[in-house]
This record gives sequence, C-alpha cells and structure tokens, in this order.
Amino acid sequence: MRLLIVEDDPEACQAMTSVLAEAGHECVRAADGIAGLNAAGNEGFDVLIVDRMLPRLDGVSMVERLRQEGNQTPVLFLSALGEIADRVTGLEAGGDDYLVKPYAFAELVARIEALARRRKTGSVETLLRVGDLEMDLIGREVRRSGREIDLQPREFQLLEFLMRNAGQSVTRTMLLEKVWEYHFDPQTNVIDVHISRLRSKIDKGFDRPMLLTVRGAGYRLEA
Amino acid sequence: MRLPRLFRTTPFRLTLVFLSLFAGAASAFLAYIYLATAGEVTRRADFRVSHEMSSLRAIYGQGGLTAVNQAIIDRGSSDQGFLYLLMDKSGSPITGTVARSPVNDFADGNDNWASFTLTERASDGSKIVLPARGLEERLPDGNLVFVGADVGEAESYVVKILRSMWGAGALMIVLGLAGGLVVSRDVNRNISGLTGVIDAVRGGDLRARAKVRGAGDEYDELAQGLNDMLERLERSIGGLRHAGDAIAHDLRSPLTRLRARLEAAMLDAEAGRTDPRTALRQALDDADAVLRTFSAVLAIARLEAAGDAPDQAPFDPSALASDVAELYQPLCEDKGVDFRAEVSSGLVVTGNREFIAQAVANVLDNAAKYTPPGGAVMLRVRRRASGDIEISVTDTGPGVPEADRARVVERFVRLDNSRNKPGAGLGLSLVAAVARAHRGELELDEGPGAVGSSGPGLRVALVLPRAG
Repeated sequence: MRLLIVEDDPEACQAMTSVLAEAGHECVRAADGIAGLNAAGNEGFDVLIVDRMLPRLDGVSMVERLRQEGNQTPVLFLSALGEIADRVTGLEAGGDDYLVKPYAFAELVARIEALARRRKTGSVETLLRVGDLEMDLIGREVRRSGREIDLQPREFQLLEFLMRNAGQSVTRTMLLEKVWEYHFDPQTNVIDVHISRLRSKIDKGFDRPMLLTVRGAGYRLEA
Repeated sequence: MRLPRLFRTTPFRLTLVFLSLFAGAASAFLAYIYLATAGEVTRRADFRVSHEMSSLRAIYGQGGLTAVNQAIIDRGSSDQGFLYLLMDKSGSPITGTVARSPVNDFADGNDNWASFTLTERASDGSKIVLPARGLEERLPDGNLVFVGADVGEAESYVVKILRSMWGAGALMIVLGLAGGLVVSRDVNRNISGLTGVIDAVRGGDLRARAKVRGAGDEYDELAQGLNDMLERLERSIGGLRHAGDAIAHDLRSPLTRLRARLEAAMLDAEAGRTDPRTALRQALDDADAVLRTFSAVLAIARLEAAGDAPDQAPFDPSALASDVAELYQPLCEDKGVDFRAEVSSGLVVTGNREFIAQAVANVLDNAAKYTPPGGAVMLRVRRRASGDIEISVTDTGPGVPEADRARVVERFVRLDNSRNKPGAGLGLSLVAAVARAHRGELELDEGPGAVGSSGPGLRVALVLPRAG
C-alpha cells in the first residue's frame, strides 16, 4: 500500500516509516498541513495518516478541505488529545479512525490495514466468507464447513468484524471500540474471554484453528 | 491630582448627580414662582396707578389745573400710598410728594412708565427700600402729572420667600453631601473588605475569604459568591496539585524500574551475554503501565476540574448497565463466579454516557477481580424512593473495612490485601469523580455478609440524581 504520513516530527515519522515498510507498505512524508493537502490531492494514496497538530494548517482543517474537494481516501488521525470530544471533532471533520499517542506500532499497522480494507469492500455484502467459514448477514447464520454454529448477538458482531478484517491483525482496543463502542481501557482483559468463547465455538471440533492470537498485537482470523 | 478615595465612590458620585439635578429643578421652580408672583404684583400696582391717573384726568376735565393741583395736595397728605408730582411743560416741579419724576425722556415719546425704588424711613429710623412703579402723563394744557405707587410690600414678601428658599436649598446641599459621604464611607468599607480578599488571592493566598456579615444584603451575596468561587477554585487547584504529586509519586517508581531494565539490557547486549529481547519486552510492559496510570490520573483530574461532566444527555441506565454487564459476564463465569443482573426498565438519567459506562465497568472490574471462585456478583439498576437512580454492584469478595471506605476512593490508595492484584488504585477514584461530575454520589457498604472463609463482600453504588 502507498501511505501518506502528514507529521511534522521527522523522528516520529522515521520510526513509523520503518515499521510500516517492514509490514510491506510504502510511505511518503509531508511535513505540514499545506504540503499534506497538496500531496494527497496530486497522488493516489491508500490511507492518509494525519497528525492533528501540524504547522501552517492543522490536521482537522486539512482533512475537512480534502473532503470538500471530494477526496475520499481513508484518514487515520494521530493525536495526543484523547478526550471523547477531541475524537468526535476528528471523526466529524472526515477522519475514519482516531489513534491516541502514544500507541503501539502493532495498533497503528492493524488500524491502517483495516482502513484500507474497508475501502475495498465498497458494495454492501450479504454474505461473508473466510475459508470454510460462512456468515449470512441477513439470516444471521454462521456455518463452518456446512455445520451451523450458534452465536450470541455480541459474538456474531465480533466474528463479523474479524471476518471483515480476515488475514489481518486486530487489536483488543480496536475490538472494544468497533464491536462494543467503548473508548476506555478496561483494566482486565475482558476481550480475551469473549475471544476464547468465540474460539471454542468456531474452532472446536475442527482440526485447523482459524482464530489466532497474535503476540503483542491482538488477534487474527486466518482462512 | 486624584480625589481621595472617599470622593471617587459610586454613591458619592450619584449623590452629586442627584444634588445637581435637584438644585436645577428647584431653581427652575423658584424662578417660575418669582416671575409669576412678581409679574402679578407689578401688574396690580400698574393698575392702581393707571386708575389714579384716570381719576386725576377726570378732575382736570371738571375743574382744570387748579382742581388737579388741589387734589394732589389733598391726596398727597392722605395715606393712600400714592406719590404725586405736578410739573410744568418743561418738567419743573409745581406741587407733589416727590421732588423729581423718575420717568426719563418722556419728551422723546418713549415709554411713560418707570420702575424705581424709594427709600422710606421706618418708625425706628432704619431705612426701607421699596420697589415702586410710576406713570407720567401730559395734561391737555401741556403740564405734566406723575403718579407713582410702591409695589413694595407685596414684592418684598416674594423676595423673603425666595431668600428663605435659597437658605433651604443651601441646607439641602450640605445635608445631601454629608449623606453622600456617609453612604460612600459605608460602601467603601464593605468593598474594601472584598477587594482585600481579591488582593490576597492575587498574591497567591487562595484561603482568603470575605466576611459575610449576616445582613443578607447585596454585599453579603457578593461576599458569599466570592467565597463559593474561591472554594471551588481552591478545591480544583488542590486537586490538580494533589494529582501532580500523585503522578510524580506513582510514576517515579515504574519509570525507575523501566530505566534500570533498559540499562541492564544494554549492558547485557554489549557484553553479548543474553538476548535483550526479554528485557525489552518487559520494558515495554512497564512503559504501557506508566502510560495507563498517567491517562487515568489525567482523566480524573480533568473530570474534577471540569465541574459538571461534559456532553450530558438523557439515556436509559438499564441499557447501559446491561451492555457493560454483558462485557464482564463471561469473565466472571470463567472464573467460577456467579454473575446476575437485576435491571429495572423504563428509567432515564441525564449524564455523559461514556463516563458512566466507564464507571460501571470499573466497579464490575473490581468485583470480578476480588470475588473468589464460587462467589457471586450482582448488578442492580433501580429507582430509589427519592427518584434517584442507583446502579449498584454487590460482590462476595473480602469487602472493605468500614474504616477504609472513605480512603479507598482517594487516588492511588490500595489496601494491603490487594497489593498482589493488578491495578494502580485509580478505579474507584474515577468512579467517585464521575459521580461528582454528575452531582451524584458513590456509596460503599458491606456486602451480603461473611459465608465461610469469604466475605463479607462489598456493595458499591453509583447514585445519580433523577433527571430534571
């Protein structure tokens, strides 16, 4: 993927670039809001990573202008401002996701990949398929190799999110945000328990596990 | 040059403004009375004079100059109050009670009326000056007749009234100024108490308070308002200071540990002794713990500094509690803890959904953490008789001794028997801050009581005031 990083701190940008390069992504850097606006307007990028505090033109205004110009490239905001109100401002301006500094690199990579993926699946799907796992979004049914799996409503949502991001790591924070819609950090890993329940339902009795734990990052659903 | 403080106060200025307004109005009133009365008095004198002149003219018509001469001699000696003078064509006196006519330049055909004064000697010998009016006319034979009358008595009465009124005006101004000064001094004294407090606060003493005298007037209200404001300010600055101390205190040890680990890892790596990855992984965990503590403290401090929680809206607390319960239920069940929820429906509270969800999550987190296997956790949402909404979590864990209940709510306070559990001791502090930000309360009580080796349990209730 081609990514644009709009960030004024060269050192932070360097670290991000090397991590993303290792994950197989190509990064271009813009050092301020105006440069970011020009770069995003002239070249095609898969995802824009935009710091909120930028010289010349702040990140929120920059994204607002991009959206006015009709540019729909997914935007991930990076910010040291972590209040709910700050998050809402960022998302209302046209951001697609919001990550509070400091963050783990695994979190950054997982979110960028989820954003790029969301863009590809533009049309409304009624059936999700990952390997031999099938999810009927209208009939609310899940089957693996034809065998029906009975899920609680929340487990269904959890699996749907994992299937939409199949093959990619998703973090616990992402799950809490996207499936439960909470933006706080629980002290205990409540998510792990939900995952292990889901895992026992979709992997038990099959010789190959699909729901994998990714060390230091989170989980991944593998075909 | 600036006026002394006493003369610069608002009441004193108002006194001046009203005094001048009043003096202006009184002067206009007096001037009107004078003009109206004095004019009337003069007109009456003029009427009498013209009447007397007509009578002389009639006498002249009957008896000629000799009769007029005789009439003037007769009437002049009577006590009619008229002045007479008969003059020849050139104006030289013939007979009369005055030596000279005060009417000037009558020959030129100008106004034949005159206002003049005459001086009389009173019985005690003092001089009395009286205003008078006179009329001079030419008889058909060319001789001149002057008739005058004093308007004196009536007019001097008006003058006396005016004089006494001026005196009253002067007295009023003096009294007014004195009153203004007294009020001004009173205001000055009351205000200087308040400005003294403000000066003290500006100088850094947040504990200064204004004196409320108990009179219940606007100064008391102002002083009370100032005191309340300072109270708030002191508490929130105190909170920040405490948060700063707490952060410094609580972050120093993990940061020190982190530094030591990194240093050891570097030495080991340089010597090629061990794989530094283990140490680095631990260092990352340490850093994450520091960051978590930091953001929790920051969230509490911000919530406390904000006063009322931001972005409040009405919502159903039952739905919220069930939602959070659903998040924690599997955790409890996996641990062998019975989890139950008893949730009333149709309730509404006004608040910040996200903060309240986090508060409930923190309480459930504690309950799940401290309740031993075989125990139970019960979440209950109900409306109290008072109308307040209560979200409570009861567990069968070790509970909190009564003496410690007020203390566990403070930041970083962890009881001895919880030292081996994860957490920084901020969970309940955040719940308390959320309760305060919603003008609600956090209550800690004993749970269902001791059963065997476990218990007596803990009941934590977040009480939110009823909507509206």
